[in-house]
Amino acid sequence: MNEVISTFIALIPVTLAQSLILSFVVLAIMIPFRILSFPDLTSEGAYPLGGAVCAIAMVSGVPAYLAIPLAVVAGFVAGCATALIHLRFKIHTLLAGILVTTMLYSVNLRILGKPNVPLFKETKLFDYLDLGKGMNNLEKILIVGLLMGVVGFGLRLWFMTERGIAMRAVGDNPDMAEAQGNNVDRAIFLGVGAAGGCAALSGSLMVQSQAFVDVNMGIGLLINALAALMIGETILGRRKISQQLLAPFVGSLIYYQLISFCLAAGLAPSDLKIATGIFVLVMLGAPILKGKRNTTRLAKESIRE
Amino acid sequence: MLRSRPALLDVIASWTDPFLSAPRAADSFPNKWAPEMLNITNLRRTFFAGTADEKVALDGLSLSLGKGEFGVIIGSNGAGKSTLLNAISGALQVDEGTIAIADDDVTRMPVHDRARHVARVFQDPMKGTASGMTIAENMLLAELRTSKARLKPGLTRKRLDNYREQLSYLKLGLEDRMDTQVSLLSGGQRQSLSLVMAVIKEPDILLLDEHTAALDPRTANLVLNATLRAVSALKLTTLMVSHNMQHAVDYGNRILMLEAGKVKLDISGAEKKGVSVQSLTNHFAIKSDRMLLGA
Ligand SMILES: Nc1ncnc2c1ncn2[C@@H]1O[C@H](COP(=O)(O)OP(=O)(O)OP(=O)(O)O)[C@@H](O)[C@H]1O
Ligand SMILES: [Mg+2]
Repeated sequence: MNEVISTFIALIPVTLAQSLILSFVVLAIMIPFRILSFPDLTSEGAYPLGGAVCAIAMVSGVPAYLAIPLAVVAGFVAGCATALIHLRFKIHTLLAGILVTTMLYSVNLRILGKPNVPLFKETKLFDYLDLGKGMNNLEKILIVGLLMGVVGFGLRLWFMTERGIAMRAVGDNPDMAEAQGNNVDRAIFLGVGAAGGCAALSGSLMVQSQAFVDVNMGIGLLINALAALMIGETILGRRKISQQLLAPFVGSLIYYQLISFCLAAGLAPSDLKIATGIFVLVMLGAPILKGKRNTTRLAKESIRE
Repeated sequence: MLRSRPALLDVIASWTDPFLSAPRAADSFPNKWAPEMLNITNLRRTFFAGTADEKVALDGLSLSLGKGEFGVIIGSNGAGKSTLLNAISGALQVDEGTIAIADDDVTRMPVHDRARHVARVFQDPMKGTASGMTIAENMLLAELRTSKARLKPGLTRKRLDNYREQLSYLKLGLEDRMDTQVSLLSGGQRQSLSLVMAVIKEPDILLLDEHTAALDPRTANLVLNATLRAVSALKLTTLMVSHNMQHAVDYGNRILMLEAGKVKLDISGAEKKGVSVQSLTNHFAIKSDRMLLGA
């Protein structure tokens, strides 16, 4: 037992850095799903896309601080593609996201030219902060933490503006929002695009953190992000927009520590997926089993078709 | 334009005052020379065109409404009343014909652009509000109907004070629940809120589609009276769909009877004052007789 604890503690810094980076994916799940009622899977493709764009840019000599925005723009475009497919062809949002993710796999391979590319000598974003030897994880934690703070604060401000409040109305009651003079399509493009951008941001940070990019790096990511979101929402609630915005970050931090603990306790990594799947299932299903049907917004969430 | 605040507050204040009865068909409606607010010509809309289920919902309907006129639309189920209102608001595209509001051709204008002209209260209290958002946020959305949402702070202190004051006159206690989610309100409270939201920025045309039909009789009466007061005090150009013949006789200055996607009967002016529920039902009866005879 002591060994488990000490392994877990030793893993805390690296897990923390990891979970901060991945919290942007959780945010990318939350925004379309919770704010726009537009359940979306584009992140699974936008995340490796961000990684690929960032890595190739850096390999070609673009500095990290420009490669990352480039990746974010690519992710934004991917999100817009999903929104366009849904709005223009009336294809279900989930299917639209799967289509884009599938196509992005080929795109990512084209961008990379091969399934994986190392990033050894390039200067990563984290190299701009030098706290001395053995402080790698702390550097990552500080830099990504700062980014997270900026993004979180920016979102908080955005959702206090007229346009931010109007965007929430689009998710809550699109017909009403439109009848009150809001361009529903534009809000969806913006929101789903921003989510793609967040996922790409996460991907671009991850490839720099692990010093390589792999075209398969997004696989299975979504279920983790969803589990993290559930945890955050369960702990914080989601009545207020501030709670809803904080939930992805808090959820991510806790979820990945839990995973780390499970691994330290000897759970085979290959069994993680089913454990996570069961966990999400329980989180989604428990309220229904308890008979509180009305409180499970998630399970009966109106899905826009 | 937003009317000066005191006037608007007076209107709202009088809405729920039990000692004030609803205004009857008033003599104060504008005469025939009032400028036109709504002009609809030859509107046509067919559902499932070219199939066995083909249904002509609007069949070359024309109608014009002067500024400040209040038309009550009656007609049997499926006559095309809701379809007409949907066409005016833009929720439904028409196949043919034109719609102009305040001399602005809106026929092909998307709903969100048309919103600066049109406000609407639906039959279903769920439809007119964002139920997952707070009362204050809903009020803000309504205030933004006629303008573009900007990158400026939304719920400012000044706005909140305004909303609180406007809602306080409803005497439903909503002003103390500004941060309450609308989903927690009763149907009547929500419909009253919808009504305030519809008139907070005076629309060029107000559309009411059986907006009291889902409420219990007492609440329905309250909301109806509130509506009538707002319409008459703000002189709003209004179209109200009702299944209640007595309402058509008592309120507004025009009765528009729809049948099979056309205006079958358009009663206004002196003729409107002489009309009774009996004479209106006779029209319905004549219609069904004719149908029986296959004419
Ligand atoms: N979205 C639609 N798709 C197909 N048919 C429709 C649609 N909307 C209306 N209709 C048809 O058009 C006709 C007119 O319907 P509408 O809803 O306008 O009637 P209404 O006068 O409002 O009736 P009610 O008094 O029942 O509300 C009906 O035959 C209806 O079946
Ligand atoms: Mg109807």
